[in-house]
This record gives sequence, structure tokens and C-alpha cells, in this order.
Amino acid sequence: MRRYILRRILLFIPTFIVITLLSFIILVNAPGDPVERMMTAAQSSGDISTQSIVQQEQRIYWSHRLGLDLPVFYFSVHSIAEPDTLYRIADKQERIVLSKLVKEYGAWKEIQTYYSKLKALKQLLADESRIEFMTTTEFKSGPVRVLLQEMESEVNLLKNETLITKINTRINKINELSAELQHHKESCSSLTPSITALKKSAEEITSNQCRWKNYIPAISFHPNNQYHRWLFGDGMLSKGILHFDFGISYLTKQPVSTVIAGKIGWSLFFTLISVLLAYIISIPLAIKAAAKKNSGFDRTSSLILFMLYSLPTFWVATLLLMTFSNTDVLNIFPASGIKPVTGYPVDANLFEKIKLSLPYLILPTICYTYSSLAFLSRTLRVSMLEILSQDFIRTARAKGLPEKTVLWKHALKNSLLPVITVFANVFPFMIGGSVILESIFTIPGMGSTIYSSIDAQDYPMIVAVFTLTGILTMLGYLLSDVLYAIVDPRISFSKINNS
Amino acid sequence: MTDTGKIFFMGPGWKHFRKNKPASISMYILFFLALIALLAPVIANDKPLFAKQNGEIFFPAFSFSEVIELKNSETRQNEILQSSQVNWKQLKLEKVWWAPIAYSAGKSDPLHPDYSSPSVKGHLLGTTKNGADVLSGLIHGTRISMSIGILAMLIASLIGIILGSMAGYFGDEHVRASRGSLLMTVIGILPAYFYGFHIRSNQFSNMLMNPGVGIFLQLILSVFIFTLILFIFYKTGKLLNGIAFFSKKIFVKIDSLVSRTIEVFISIPRLILIISIAAIARPSFINIILIIGFTSWTEIARFIRAELLRARNSDYIESARAIGLTDFRIILKHALPNALAPATVAIVFGIASAILIESGLSFLGIGVPPDVTTWGSLLFAGKENFEAWWLVLFPGLFIFITVTAFNLVGDGLRDAMDVKGRG
Repeated sequence: MRRYILRRILLFIPTFIVITLLSFIILVNAPGDPVERMMTAAQSSGDISTQSIVQQEQRIYWSHRLGLDLPVFYFSVHSIAEPDTLYRIADKQERIVLSKLVKEYGAWKEIQTYYSKLKALKQLLADESRIEFMTTTEFKSGPVRVLLQEMESEVNLLKNETLITKINTRINKINELSAELQHHKESCSSLTPSITALKKSAEEITSNQCRWKNYIPAISFHPNNQYHRWLFGDGMLSKGILHFDFGISYLTKQPVSTVIAGKIGWSLFFTLISVLLAYIISIPLAIKAAAKKNSGFDRTSSLILFMLYSLPTFWVATLLLMTFSNTDVLNIFPASGIKPVTGYPVDANLFEKIKLSLPYLILPTICYTYSSLAFLSRTLRVSMLEILSQDFIRTARAKGLPEKTVLWKHALKNSLLPVITVFANVFPFMIGGSVILESIFTIPGMGSTIYSSIDAQDYPMIVAVFTLTGILTMLGYLLSDVLYAIVDPRISFSKINNS
Repeated sequence: MTDTGKIFFMGPGWKHFRKNKPASISMYILFFLALIALLAPVIANDKPLFAKQNGEIFFPAFSFSEVIELKNSETRQNEILQSSQVNWKQLKLEKVWWAPIAYSAGKSDPLHPDYSSPSVKGHLLGTTKNGADVLSGLIHGTRISMSIGILAMLIASLIGIILGSMAGYFGDEHVRASRGSLLMTVIGILPAYFYGFHIRSNQFSNMLMNPGVGIFLQLILSVFIFTLILFIFYKTGKLLNGIAFFSKKIFVKIDSLVSRTIEVFISIPRLILIISIAAIARPSFINIILIIGFTSWTEIARFIRAELLRARNSDYIESARAIGLTDFRIILKHALPNALAPATVAIVFGIASAILIESGLSFLGIGVPPDVTTWGSLLFAGKENFEAWWLVLFPGLFIFITVTAFNLVGDGLRDAMDVKGRG
């Protein structure tokens, strides 16, 4: 038995790793650049060139602060054409484009030169248009401005191109634009050499391409990487999710764990109260149904419970709101929130607070309870039926014990076993299901947090909720399995023999 | 005991199932819904099924071409019409057959551009805010929900059946391989990943830009390359057999491996995972199908595993082995057919929960394309305005009836086959 429990706890480790890996994959693949999100939108005034230097510094600072200047995982498989230092590029978009280019053409050095030339041209253009904007009025230089803007947008598009044919057409376009520009303004001829250089470097990518390099695998190891840092922290900037440091929320710029700590209370409250209610209602119901198997009561109650089980919670919630908090029908309960809009009175004690919140809690509690109620009573009924057909019940009845004692004492005690496992099933389901219910009733819990995070694309928050729910689910299963084994030692032996 | 596969649908179990009134009624309901799903474009369409003009015959509802050339009856001149743009009801046609519900899902009706209640003529179940017909939306929603449920469970069944039958049939002490082969296989994972996925990642990201069947084909090709390379490495492992240490044969604990994987997968909170992935991926039904499929195979695998574990030691499998049939053939031809019937219980329940997940996601507006009308999206539209009660009532009823029907059929099958399962 101890061996079984130990094994069960050991199984916790691979599960934990899988869940953290899944979360991490989601986090890494999330669209958008985290650095971009963290950089303050309010830029300091001043001219553009110092601004872009400040931006560059900020970019490097945040990419270090978020640990994004590290390789992603403990090892990486790549072709010998790709350098294993790609991760050092702070700009995510640049990184993606470079990696695509090198996967296509294999000539890393040429690609690098090409890209630095491209960036130089971009800088040159920015300077040029800055001077243009500062020295002339719009009236005087209409076409020059338009051409410069057109060129800049071409260059920005070029930065995302990954196919050499498209790159060449864009460079030619830029070339034409620059020729036209010189026609209008002589001083812009300074752009020409860098455009030619860019064109030459782009040509070199194809002339020096070695695609075969892309078909030879290589592996490199990175003991210090993003996953490791995310999991264990680096001791300074991040404590790691093992210490409940899930990073910083994009939306509120607060630590994710602080936000969650403020929200998890309501989710747990509704989950626990509805599980409790479900147990209180379902136990007598199941016993009555099982005691008279196939009676009218059994059949109808099974069918009704079954339908309850199939009722989508969001429909029930909407219907309830439509009926009971609709000014046209019945306006009994408030439609949203968990406390009066004005907040509690300052001097309210706990009891008064509960009294004030009660009308807000009734409809959500009904929705939370009914589906787990159906699930519980069905499971309980099945296990009761199984127990009632066993010998010791027959003996108890033969002994002349009153039916009530047989049912409530002997049978119930034994049939509660599977109900323990049910808890593990219900618990994660409720946290997951709460996304829908919490957003309908606007309860400030984990579910509505994840919903609003999706709107705001607040990925650290989404991933944190996913990881936490996963861990809670795992703990639920672990707890129920261990309890199960303690209550019924036969389980552990049969499980060990079977697996 | 368990009735067996092919026999089930003729044997006592089937009779038992037919006697179960709720279950057999649900069966008919499901057939009806499937029919609606299949015929949705014919039942509800704002283009006529058949039109005749100046002796020319058109089938606008079935035509894929965008442009239709019509001769105007007054001016006697040919007009070129955009099939999706034109309002067919305003055209003067000699002869026209409309679909039973002459509205397309999500398209607003110019005659009633606002909420209309079911009492308005023509719109049996009312319209949405933009005047789109609700009944038509429900019918097209049936198509989406049913196909998501069925396709997702198809993927789940495929994974569940393969893993479950391997675990159940081979167990822990049936497959032996030399240490050398195993070592080489483990080493082979890296090059297999490299050639199967890494060097093809540009193709994948191109495919992700425009979701469709292409991504499936790319995925299959990648998996094929992956397995091929693993197999080559496995075979080359035999070369190591000269060394005593590597030639020693050990058991491959397939059952333990699969069981542990199942336990890991059970602990993944599915809805939250789907919501998280849906949040980062481009909204598409294919993503939802894939995610539901890849996360709900565990129950099916457990059923199949349990059945094959029992069948493994039965006489007919023993004799099949004795006459020298290959394992593959025994599993496919003899063991699996018997195990499939109980697995259908899990599959049917799975479809119900997949439909619930899909409608929940549509209700939240997460991960589904915003311009497609589904049961969940109609219901969400109803939440905006409680006066439009028909927007809440009817889509919810559709979801409820469908899910209940699937659950009742699953329950009936379970009773009839006496399969022990959870919940």
C-alpha cells in the first residue's frame, strides 16, 4: 500500500512536466512580441533618432528582464546552416524572418549581411525623412514626402519577406522609387549606394546558397534556458513558477500571482459550496432510487437527472437571468456581480456582507450545482446498486435489520467509495466550466480572468491559469487515488498487478 | 457479459437497446439531425433550388460558380449577376422553386432588418439583430456541431484504438526487443523530428496562414517521415547485436507506457487547454476539432485496452496465434471487432461532450470564426437582448436535445452491453 501511494506520487512528476511543457509551448508560441507588450507606450519626447535609441535600449532591457535573451529549451535540434545563437536577436519578428530565410537558403553569413544592410537602409531613410519633415513645409515638397513614405513602407514590408523572388521585386521597387526621388530632390542620391549594396547582398544569398546544409542535423545544449528559468527562476529577476511566480501580466503590469490570489477566492467558494450542496442533495436521492430499482421514482429521477446532466450550463444561466433578473418578467435577482454596485457599507460585519451578497449568489450557485448534482447521483446510484446486490447486504437483511439501517449504514458507507473519485472529476470540471458561468454572471474569479485575458491577449495570465488548473486537477486525482487506496486497500494491490 | 461487436447489432443486446424507449427515440432524433446536417444547404438557402428564365434552367443553390448570366425579361439583354450578391427574391423569374426555408444562415433579410419575433411571417423562429433568420442559422449550426463532434471523435477514436489495442494486446510482457534496437530508436527520435518536422517548418507556417485540408496532408506526410526514420534506426540497431550487452532482449512495457500516458492526459484540464490554445491560434473549426480530438482519446483507449486485455487470453485469440497469424492481423481482424462495440459507448458520450465544448466556445466567442453562425453564437446574440427570447430558447433547445440524445444513446448502449465505465 505504501508502495502504491509512493508510485502514485511519483507519477505526479511526469504529469507535472507534461503540463508545464504544454503551458510553456503555448507561452512561447503566443503571437505578438512580449517585449513589445512590456515596453511602455508613453515614449519620451525628443527627436526620432534618440527615441529609437531609447527604444533599442528598452528592448534589450525587457528582453533580459523577461529572460527572452535565453535559448528556449535545454537542447535544440537544428540544421548546421542555422546558428545556435539565433535566440540572441532581441526582436522577435527579425528572429522569425532570419530563421525562415536560413531554412530556405542556408547561407547564414550572407543573410546576416543582407539584413544588416536592410536595417542600415531603414535608418538612413528615417534620417532622410526626418530632415525632410523638419526643413520643408508640406506645400513645398509634396511628392518628396509621399515618395519617402512609400519607400519606408516598402522597406518595412521587405523586413518581413522570406522569399528571394519577392525580396528582389521589392528591392527593385525601392530602386525605382529612389530614382524618382532623386529626380525631385538631388540630395537624396546618398541613398543609392546603400540600395545597391542591399541589392548585391540579396543576390549573394542566392549565389552562395547551400541548401544541403539544411539537411544535416545538429544538436546544441543550453543548460541555462527560458524553460528552466520559467520553471525554477534565475534567483534574481524571476522566482519561477515553482515559487508561484508566473511573470508579469501584460494587462495590469502586476505580477500574475498577485492578480490570481485576488481572484481565486470566488472560484473556490462557488466550487466548494456547490460540491457540498450536490452531495447533500444527491445522497438521499440516489439511495431512494437504488432501493427501489426500476420503480417509477427510479426511472423518472434517472431520466430527469440525465437531462440535467445534458443541459448546457450557459443556456440554463442565460434562461435564469432572462426569467429572474429581467425587468419585464421577474426582477428578483440582480443580473451581475457578487455584491452591490456601491460596495458594502463601511461598518458591515461578515454576516451583513453575506446577507447583502446573498441575492447575487443564488443564481450562480444553482448553475454550478445542478450539473455536478446529476453526475454525482448517477454515479452514486450505480455504486449503490452494485453494493446492494452483495452478500453482506443480504446477510444484514436476513438478520432482520430494518431496511433503513441497511441502506443508510451498511450500503451507503461502502458505496461512498467511488464518490470520492467523483470529487476529483468534478473539481477540475468546475474550474473549467467556471469560465463560462463566471463571465455570464460577471463573477470576479479565475474563469472571468482568463476570459478577459483572452480579449486582451494577456498570455502570461492565460498560461498561469492553465498551469494552476492543471496542478489542481493533478492534486485532485492524486488525493482521490490515495484516499481510495487508504479506504480500500484491495485497490492498490489490484492496480499494481494490473499495471 | 459483453456482447461482441458484429453480433451486437443482431443479438440480444440490440433487442435490449431497442426496448429502451428513451434510447431508441434518441436514435431516431439523431438520424433526423444528421439528415438535417447533410441537407442543410438544400433546406435553408436564400438562393432558389431551381429557376427557369427564357428557357434556360439554373440551379443557383447547387452551383459553385460566382457568376450567373441571366436574360432580363424586359430589356431582353443578358445580365451578369454575382450569385452571392444578388437578391434572388427581387428578380423576375419565370419559374422558381425556393428552398423550404428561403434564407441563408447569417444573411440579413432586407424586409426585416431588425429583430423580428417568431410571429413575423416567413421567419418561423424569428430573426437576429441584423435580421438573419434563426431557423436557417440553427440548421446550418446543426451541420457545424455534428461535424465537429463526429470529426473530433474520429481523431480521438483513431488514437484511442491504436494506443488502447497496443496496450491491451501486447501488455507488458509480449514485445521483446534487443537493447541495441531500443537505444537506436531513442537516438533516432532526434533525426526523425529533424527531417519530419524541423526542416518542413516553413511549409507548416505557410499552411497555418490559410487553414484548410493542406495542413492535414502536411501533418500526415511529416508523421510518415517521422515513423520511417524511426523504423530505419530501429532496424540499424540490429547491427549492434554483435556486442553482448546490446543483443540482450528486454521487454518493451507497452501497456505501462500507454497507461501512464493516459493518466497524464486525464490530468490536463481540457476546456482550459482548448481556451488557451484557441486564444493564441487563428480562429478556425479545424483547430477546435484537432484539440478536442487529441485530448479526448483517453476514455476510448481505456475501453479498448480493457477489452483486449480480456480477449488476449481467450481461446480464439490463442488459436489464432497457434495457426501463425501475425499480431497485426489478429488485432485487426479478431480482437478489435469485439472491442469496438463497448468503445462506441465512449465515442457517443465523447461526441456529446465535444458538441457541448464547441457550443460553449461559440457562446464565449473564443476560437471560432466570428462570421459563422452556430448554436452557441446565436445564443450569445440572445444574451444581449432578453426581449429577443427566441434567440435564447431555440438554440439552447437544439443543443440540449442533441446532447441529451447522444447521451441517452450512449447510456442505452452501455446498459445493453453492460459495459462498466465511469459516470
